[in-house]
Amino acid sequence: MDLALTKDQEMIQKSSREFFKKECPTDAVRDMRAKDQGYDKKLWKKMVKLGYSGLVFPEEYGGSDGDFVELALLMEEMGRALVPSPFFPTIQCALALLQFGSKEQKAKFLPGIAEKGTTWSIAHSERSGRLNTSDIEMMAVAEGDGFNLSGTKLFVPYAATAGRFLVTCLTKANEEAGNGENGITVFIVNPKADGVRIEGVPTVAQDGRCEVTFENVHVSEIDILGSLGKGADIIDTIIQQSAVLKAAEMYGGARAVLELTVNYTKERKQFDRPLASFQAVQHRLVNLMTEIDGLKYLVFKAAWGFAKNNPDRSINSAAKLKANAVHSAVCRQGMYLHGAIGWTEEMDIGLYHRQTRAMDFDGGSSDLHREVIACEMEKRTPLYKQVPA
Amino acid sequence: MPFRRKPLLDRTIAIYKKLIIEVIMDFGFSEEQELFRREIREFVRKNLSPDRYWGLLDEGETDEDWAFIMSISKKLAEKKWLTLSWPKEYGGLAVSHVQSMIFEQEVGYWGIPGTSMGISGTSWVGPSLMLFGTDEQKETFLPPIAAGDEDGVWCTGYSEPDSGSDLASLQTFAERVGDEYVINGQKVWTSCAHRARWMWLAARTNRDVKKKHHGISLFLVDMQSQGLKVNPLRNFVGQHFFNEVFFDDVKIPAKNLVGVENKGWSQLMTALSFERGLALGASGTMKRMLEELTEFAKESGSIRDPLVRARLADFFMEVEKLSLLGQESVWKAERGDIVIYEPSRDKANMDEILDELSRFGADMLGGYSLVHPMHKNSRWTRLKGMIEQAYYFVMGMAVAGGTTDTQRNIVANFGLKLPRS
Ligand SMILES: Cc1cc2nc3c(=O)[nH]c(=O)nc-3n(C[C@H](O)[C@H](O)[C@H](O)COP(=O)(O)OP(=O)(O)OC[C@H]3O[C@@H](n4cnc5c(N)ncnc54)[C@H](O)[C@@H]3O)c2cc1C
Repeated sequence: MDLALTKDQEMIQKSSREFFKKECPTDAVRDMRAKDQGYDKKLWKKMVKLGYSGLVFPEEYGGSDGDFVELALLMEEMGRALVPSPFFPTIQCALALLQFGSKEQKAKFLPGIAEKGTTWSIAHSERSGRLNTSDIEMMAVAEGDGFNLSGTKLFVPYAATAGRFLVTCLTKANEEAGNGENGITVFIVNPKADGVRIEGVPTVAQDGRCEVTFENVHVSEIDILGSLGKGADIIDTIIQQSAVLKAAEMYGGARAVLELTVNYTKERKQFDRPLASFQAVQHRLVNLMTEIDGLKYLVFKAAWGFAKNNPDRSINSAAKLKANAVHSAVCRQGMYLHGAIGWTEEMDIGLYHRQTRAMDFDGGSSDLHREVIACEMEKRTPLYKQVPA
Repeated sequence: MPFRRKPLLDRTIAIYKKLIIEVIMDFGFSEEQELFRREIREFVRKNLSPDRYWGLLDEGETDEDWAFIMSISKKLAEKKWLTLSWPKEYGGLAVSHVQSMIFEQEVGYWGIPGTSMGISGTSWVGPSLMLFGTDEQKETFLPPIAAGDEDGVWCTGYSEPDSGSDLASLQTFAERVGDEYVINGQKVWTSCAHRARWMWLAARTNRDVKKKHHGISLFLVDMQSQGLKVNPLRNFVGQHFFNEVFFDDVKIPAKNLVGVENKGWSQLMTALSFERGLALGASGTMKRMLEELTEFAKESGSIRDPLVRARLADFFMEVEKLSLLGQESVWKAERGDIVIYEPSRDKANMDEILDELSRFGADMLGGYSLVHPMHKNSRWTRLKGMIEQAYYFVMGMAVAGGTTDTQRNIVANFGLKLPRS
């Protein structure tokens, strides 16, 4: 056990922190969020040039072979600096391509992400407003050399600028052919294809969310990710990985909010003394710090599991479950500890809290992850009942 | 595969490679450490009944219980596990902090007795003597502690009726008279005083000081001394855990002063800092409680209740978090950092989680949670009584070793560097 970072990990942490500090101060964040697409393409280009989008790809696809912990560290820094960018949905899709894509698909798409910064987005949730695969209603019907997709996807991030979507559909018509559970299939879809309509959703996070409607959109069979009817596993993997990455981002944000709040309460005086000298204030801050410290280690233990190719589902889910609670708590309590000014747009703390709901949604809600953990607990034979080998 | 970094990354790597020593972020344990874990579990299988769980400082009630505890203590001592982290010259194994942590986690999970009440000896009396004691004190007092002997059982006399959280205000007085100190006053909440052979005592040696922290000294007191009286105190469900101790002209040899007279406070602070790791054992215990509750829910069918599932999941997360926080403190100590606020952070968090978990557990057990924790053999007892034990003990745990809120004060001052309130 050694919780220190490796030098590569530490390098990524320090260099990205400096980079975002310089390139993405909070005034810039406000401007970027106000743009139609919700981010600044110039900043995105710079991130791509630094190798962020291909960080964990093998060299042959233009990547730099980074590990999952490095990726989590990068997310942490993005969270700290509130970086508005399509990085997260792009990486969600890229990781799925890496794991489930065919050789041809990887060769075709990954270099574009790593080198040209083509962005991707995941079109998964529908009218239920949840990520559970059981809620998928959109159908793909076999037609010619592939399928015709029809249905509506909701809250697709940065969809308007995406180069490709991953779209989940029911392919039940093929179930008799012995295809897997729910018959969900994941398709790679070009947003420019005929029948795709994209409409922006006005979100508090200003994070380029869209409703994407598919009307008889034809997708060739070669654009199926993984195999027909086996999409539920892919979605499950995406949720597990992105839960940890999103939790890392939320950790970065939560830590930043705590720092803002600690500094503010040390500076502001009432009753002739700093707010931070009141015990009621102190104990709130201490409790938040404890949870944030704990979140950090849940996140990095989970990331370490992926880096070791031995992910632990309950730890991954615990990281997101904790992140959902902590990010919200530190934003709400931090705002409270700022007094009225905390509630104004002038203060940066609001920029963080504007993301709370979106971050809770991305990578899986608390209920979703509680159920993952409960299933794991139910399956496990407790240690005290195990017979020694 | 060789790394190929983008040019900008390459340049930064070059800079940082010079600064940073090669280390690997690693949450895993070495082969040797896993082997040690297995050895502890083997010990448990050989020496403990699966029907009795000694968790959370449970020391039983009867002399029979105590004799059993001491027998385990002896066996642990034979393996040198009581003094794992002590230097070899004092009968320890000088293992790493990580290995000690593994031991504490396993003790908590399996409920290994013989490590708690007498723990003051191995945890803070021994290590403090190594730092501040005379050669004679070390020769006299360390071996019985390391051996797990009855003579190596210690209690700790800090708190007094008027000095709790504000420990430095203590008034029990030790007056130097010739070759002796004469002690008068009262200690209270003294765990284990009814079993201990020795007391690690903090007393005032000078009343005429500007700051109350000055003028305090530490002493080694024979519990069989004339004029010393131990009076049992029972907790609100009738368990005998701690005592009050009266000193009426108790005479001890002057050589039983530890370190420098009137400079005891800083030694005391060091001793208190050895009182860490509480959260490590407790996270093992809570992991056990949670596994037992999950099995209970599976057997009773309540596992199908979505609310039960959700709460089990929440507790999994909390216990895992607490355990990781404990690991962070251990890792920092291992690499040589002075760990100041972290154990307080973990203790406060432990108090909170244990409180919630024990209430959830009691809800799960329903009527079975009505059974008295002193009747662990009753045929109505479920989960070996560990839930009731925790449910009634948690209020004591939250106060013992410094209350939850005073721990938060420490974290505020030393962790967040907030001004004193
Ligand atoms: C099970 C158990 C075992 C114990 N074993 C021992 C032992 O072996 N040896 C020994 O010497 N002592 C022992 N103690 C005593 C323990 O150390 C004290 O109880 C503890 O330090 C608190 O002191 P007090 O009980 O006088 O409470 P008080 O200090 O009177 O506190 C009462 C309440 O006021 C709060 N409070 C006090 N000061 C502050 C502050 N500055 N800020 C915010 N809140 C505050 C506390 O949090 C608490 O809620 C034991 C106690 C228990 C319960």
